[in-house]
This record gives sequence, structure tokens and C-alpha cells, in this order.
Amino acid sequence: MASRYDRAITVFSPDGHLFQVEYAQEAVKKGSTAVGIRGTNIVVLGVEKKSVAKLQDERTVRKICALDDHVCMAFAGLTADARVVINRARVECQSHKLTVEDPVTVEYITRFIATLKQKYTQSNGRRPFGISALIVGFDDDGIPRLYQTDPSGTYHAWKANAIGRSAKTVREFLEKNYTEDAIANDNEAIKLAIRALLEVVQSGGKNIELAIIRRNQPLKMFSAKEIELQVTAIEKEKEEAEKKKSKKTV
Amino acid sequence: MAATFFGEVVKAPCRAGTEDEEEEDEERTETPEDREVRRQLARKREVRLLRRQTKTSLEVSLLEKYPCSKFIIAVGNNAVAFLSSFVMNSGAWEEVGCAKLWNEWCRTTDTAHLSPAEAFCVFYHLKSNPSVFLCQCSCYVAEDQQYQWLEKVFGSCPKKNTQVTVLTSRHVTDYRTSESPGSLRCPFLRALKTQTLKEPPCCPLLEQPNIVHDLPAAVLSHCQVWKLPAVLYLCYTDVMKLDLVTMEAFKPVLSSRSFKGLVKNIPQSTEILKKLVTAEEIQSNIYT
Repeated sequence: MASRYDRAITVFSPDGHLFQVEYAQEAVKKGSTAVGIRGTNIVVLGVEKKSVAKLQDERTVRKICALDDHVCMAFAGLTADARVVINRARVECQSHKLTVEDPVTVEYITRFIATLKQKYTQSNGRRPFGISALIVGFDDDGIPRLYQTDPSGTYHAWKANAIGRSAKTVREFLEKNYTEDAIANDNEAIKLAIRALLEVVQSGGKNIELAIIRRNQPLKMFSAKEIELQVTAIEKEKEEAEKKKSKKTV
Repeated sequence: MAATFFGEVVKAPCRAGTEDEEEEDEERTETPEDREVRRQLARKREVRLLRRQTKTSLEVSLLEKYPCSKFIIAVGNNAVAFLSSFVMNSGAWEEVGCAKLWNEWCRTTDTAHLSPAEAFCVFYHLKSNPSVFLCQCSCYVAEDQQYQWLEKVFGSCPKKNTQVTVLTSRHVTDYRTSESPGSLRCPFLRALKTQTLKEPPCCPLLEQPNIVHDLPAAVLSHCQVWKLPAVLYLCYTDVMKLDLVTMEAFKPVLSSRSFKGLVKNIPQSTEILKKLVTAEEIQSNIYT
């Protein structure tokens, strides 16, 4: 059945599937993992960095991008599609600021991106964007926000979420470990993001990239050294927890 | 043939009369040139089983020449890497031979000088127990070559005390289920076994209407026909290239009887697995 209804984006299958949209979601799974956490006073985005080729400029391979001073986004999926969406979103952020003299809310720019993606699921001769995005930031009211969009054009607010390869494993880890205590403290929220990524990242801390936004502060990208320090602290805590466990069983 | 608006290619009816009569005439007469082309193609696609030292062909099948009580076959990159890390690094294995073959999936047209990475299935036996055999098959064995491969490896009368285990992986989009694809927890293992295998597999059996394809299916069918105890462990994954998470999904099979005594140091093997993945990582800029 799929073979007759999966070539054109504008055709529903008899059982109501839009196969091209579903296939676009498979393309998202080919991208490396990205995780977003909404803390009490902080929002965190962590991504698994792809190892770059020897002659490639690492600076130009980015999964976390700022859309405005107070909003940033991580994506998973087709790199070129992400570039187009990010450019459109950045233009929209500035256009909004010039028109209404206020910066965009996180929800507004998420809705803009989601509407753009939905348009591409309903047009002739086009295909859907093969990316999912995690959009984080603080609004003027000081409340932290985390939204997720997918190729179909849907968007939802989340407390914590993951996209890309092994997203399900990371999401299950977050469901078990996301507690009010875990996110009350900024440092704990950062550690939770790194721990979630370490569940699936293949080579440890050196393949992780992290960005945070604190209330009334601009985006901060963590350096490799800072991430390494956090990973060391997490490994130490793990060892101590295991020692305690083995003492209890003895 | 005609292309529709949606990009499908469909057979269009011909108003110039039926084509069937012309096709039948062509099929009836086969020229000597056609026969020669067929012969050359058959020679090109022949599966050859070669001895390790001399690189000469084996006169009899592999399992007729060497007695075998346990035969573990890994088909595909992830299964091969898993066996390399967990089984081959836990003991001393000696290469006894290889199966060399060429088909359209090979990246070279030079059938005489094929590299091991391209078109080899390599066979090893355990030095301390030479009746334990292992096969690592990273190349694609085409449908017409599978029978030859089975004949050259198992022979026409395989011994019934040989226990066969096959490990392979497949993309999760091939898995048919009434559950929604988003709810499947990838990667996951499924098993299929022959009637003569009494031991239960270490994961759920493959549900209908799913089927197994290619060389693993041919091996399992052969074992079922010849009443050999055999089990196939199939890992459904969403990442078809070499992937640590997929390879680790095979770990439950280490507890089965087929692998008893073959796996020694699991933490060290996991480290070796990680190194294999980083060494083989191919850069693709399409997905980030």
C-alpha cells in the first residue's frame, strides 16, 4: 500500500498516512542526538558532536544556533534544511523586533517555524523539511521555555526532550531522572543534560557540545574544558554511588 | 512504460498491437553468443572457497573437510564487529579459508583482484577447540550465489550434530507490526530457529508476517531442510552503518549455549567495540 501513496506529499493513503512526512521523521533519526532541559532558572541544550573530517573547519559544523539574543535552537536531521529554517527564523526575529519593537517570544518563533514546516507538507512539488528542532529561551516575563517541532509542523512545550538518533533512550532516561530537585539548581540541570547524552554518546565528553541561557543573560557555549570538568564530576559521583551500593550489599 | 504525475513508473497499454507475440519469438531462439555471455556471467559470479595458505580452491565443502560442532555466522557490519570484539578477542582464532565472490553490489568491476573488504567471507576456527567455527561475512551474497555458498560451506550432506548460530541486522522499517513505529524501542532482537533446536532462544521469536532475507534466510532454510539445530538472531535497528548501540544490542546472545566458553572479558570487549566504531566512522555532511 505504501508504494502507491508515498511519492507525492499531497496524497493521503487510504488509512490516513502522509508517508513523506513519516519518512522525513526517519531522516531526523539519522542526525545525532540533541537534548533540551528546562530548569527553574536556566535552559540547557546539549548535543552529540559529529567528529569532523581532518581538513574540515570545526567551527563551521554547528548543531546549536542562536536565533536571537534570548532564543537558541538545536536541530537533528538534514543539515541543509536546518540552514534554510534557521535563516528564515533569524530574519523573522529581526523583522518582528523592527515592526513591533519587542523581541519575539519563544512560542512565537516556534509557531513561525512550525507553520513554515507545515506549509511544506501541503504544497505541490515540495518535500517536508527533514529536521526536528528544540527551541529554548527566556521570555520577557522571565519564564524559561522549551519547545520541540517536527517535520509535520507540530510543536509542543516540554520540560525536557530529546531528538535525533537514540532519542527514545534519552527520553526514557529523562523521564526517570527529571525531578524538581534535579532542575532547581543550575548546575544540576547542566549535569542532567550531560548525563542524558552520556547514555548514548559513543566517545564520552569530548563529543558533547553544550549551551545554556540564564535569565537576562545571553547564550553561553561551554568550552571543551568546562564540559570535561562536568563529565569528570559525573563519573566521580557514579563511582561513589556504586561504592555505596556495593557496601550496602556486603 | 509511462511515468505518472506522482513519479510512479507504470506499464502503459500499447495501442500498436500486442507485444506478447514478439517477445515469445525472441525467447525461443538463443544464439551461441547469448550462451557464451551466460557462461561468462556464471563464471564471473562463481563463489570460490579458498584455502588460507595456498589460496587454492577447496575440493570438498568446508564442513566436510573440517569437523564442526559449533558454527557461528555473522552477516553484516554490526554483527561482524560484535563477534570481532566479544568472541574473537577472547580466544586464539586461526583463519582456515575464505569464500570469494563478485556481484553487482561490489564496488569494483575487476573480478580477479577483489580485496577482503569487498567480497570475502572469512572462516576461522578456535585453536584450542578446532571444531568451533566462525564466519564473518561483510559482503552481500546475491540470491543466485546463496545456493553455491551453502553447497561450498555446508556440502550436500551436513552432519546433524553441527549447531549453527547466525547473527545479522536489518533496518527497523522492514519490521511489520501493528504498533506505531514511534513506539518501537530500537534496536531490538528477534530470533528464528529450526525445529530441531531444543534450546529456547534468548530473545522473543520473530512475529508474523515478518520474514528474514538474503544469506541468513538461506542458511536457516538449509538447516531446517537438513534438520540441523540452528538459530538466527536478527537485530532491528534504525542505524544501518557501524553503530555501538546496535552492536551492544546483540549482547543477550552471549548468554546462550552457542557462546558458552567463548567470551571471556566483556568490559575489555566493549572498549574494543568503541575503538572499532571510531576507527570506521565515515563523515557524512548531509545529516547533523
